[in-house]
Amino acid sequence: MCQYVVFLCSRTVARQGLCLSRSQFGVLYRHAVPMGTTANEEMNKFWAKNTQLNRPVSPHVSIYKWSIPMMMSISHRGTGVALSSGISAFALAALVLPESYPYYLDLIHSMTFGPQFLAFSKFALAFPVAYHTFNGIRHLAWDLGKGFKIPEVYRSGYIVTAVTVLTSIGLAAM
Amino acid sequence: MKRFISSHRSRAALVHPGDSSHLGLVVRIMAALVRISSVCCRGVSPLLFRSCSLIRPLAVQKKDRDCPYLISAKIHATPSSYAGSGSKAASLHWTGERILSIVLLGLAPVAYFYPVPAVDYSLAAALTLHGHWGLGQVVTDYVHGDFKIKMANAGLFLLSTVTFAGLCYFNYHDVGICKAVALLWSK
Repeated sequence: MCQYVVFLCSRTVARQGLCLSRSQFGVLYRHAVPMGTTANEEMNKFWAKNTQLNRPVSPHVSIYKWSIPMMMSISHRGTGVALSSGISAFALAALVLPESYPYYLDLIHSMTFGPQFLAFSKFALAFPVAYHTFNGIRHLAWDLGKGFKIPEVYRSGYIVTAVTVLTSIGLAAM
Repeated sequence: MKRFISSHRSRAALVHPGDSSHLGLVVRIMAALVRISSVCCRGVSPLLFRSCSLIRPLAVQKKDRDCPYLISAKIHATPSSYAGSGSKAASLHWTGERILSIVLLGLAPVAYFYPVPAVDYSLAAALTLHGHWGLGQVVTDYVHGDFKIKMANAGLFLLSTVTFAGLCYFNYHDVGICKAVALLWSK
């Protein structure tokens, strides 16, 4: 079984040349210093140091040109947070409010401003659910490793948006 | 791996200590090399070891004897004591998130066609957990600092607990989630 030695190269090193003779293979091994910290620890150290020094954060989302995938990604998060908050608010209301659900539903219904308002509010409820659901399916496809090519990302994005709008309109009409 | 070694035998080399507990280190060195080589080489698929060698061969051959210095580098290597005892918690969490998403996806048509209490409670559980894990990712992304992270996660846990309690209460004492949506849409 032959014995081999690792060469660590970088651009400059490659030009200068990296060398090792067989007798020195153990020495390089000793010179490769393994870091004892995890990525998580290093991240925390980075944040702790930089916030403690009160360093400003470089502009990023405020200057980078927005793209469709970017907008859809943050919308996925936004709809997720909004829906979660809505569910939590509903659950809290269920615990706190004295009357039953049909009572409050009739109360709201008696206050509405017409069928268009009802249709619009149904659309407003259905839209985030539909968007988050269909974009969620798109995410699951990515988790399977499919559809990462840039044209595919855009195409699936357009499909998700179109299906969301159509579904929301369909649901609002029900 | 063997093909790689034999085809680059005269030029490339890998540390191959007999001690298998250093295998994790070797793997990480290799990974680092591959990443570096993809910067160095213009080859399309360095990962397949086809189009470029991992080191510059010429310099090696020439300076074999007379090069006095050694390049050292800090490499990310899990200490060998970790090998095999690493936690799979994060990976399992990720998989659990995806499975739950699929379950929730399947629950939607079931809720439409079979609005029964079992589905009501399953929906309550799945929705709450999906939301809890999702908001957990948001916290991980935007909250920094040990204490703040702990506080945010504690608050999130409280919120999710109250949410689940409220939904179960609604399912038990009121019309239930499926019926509630049906009523809302019937207006």
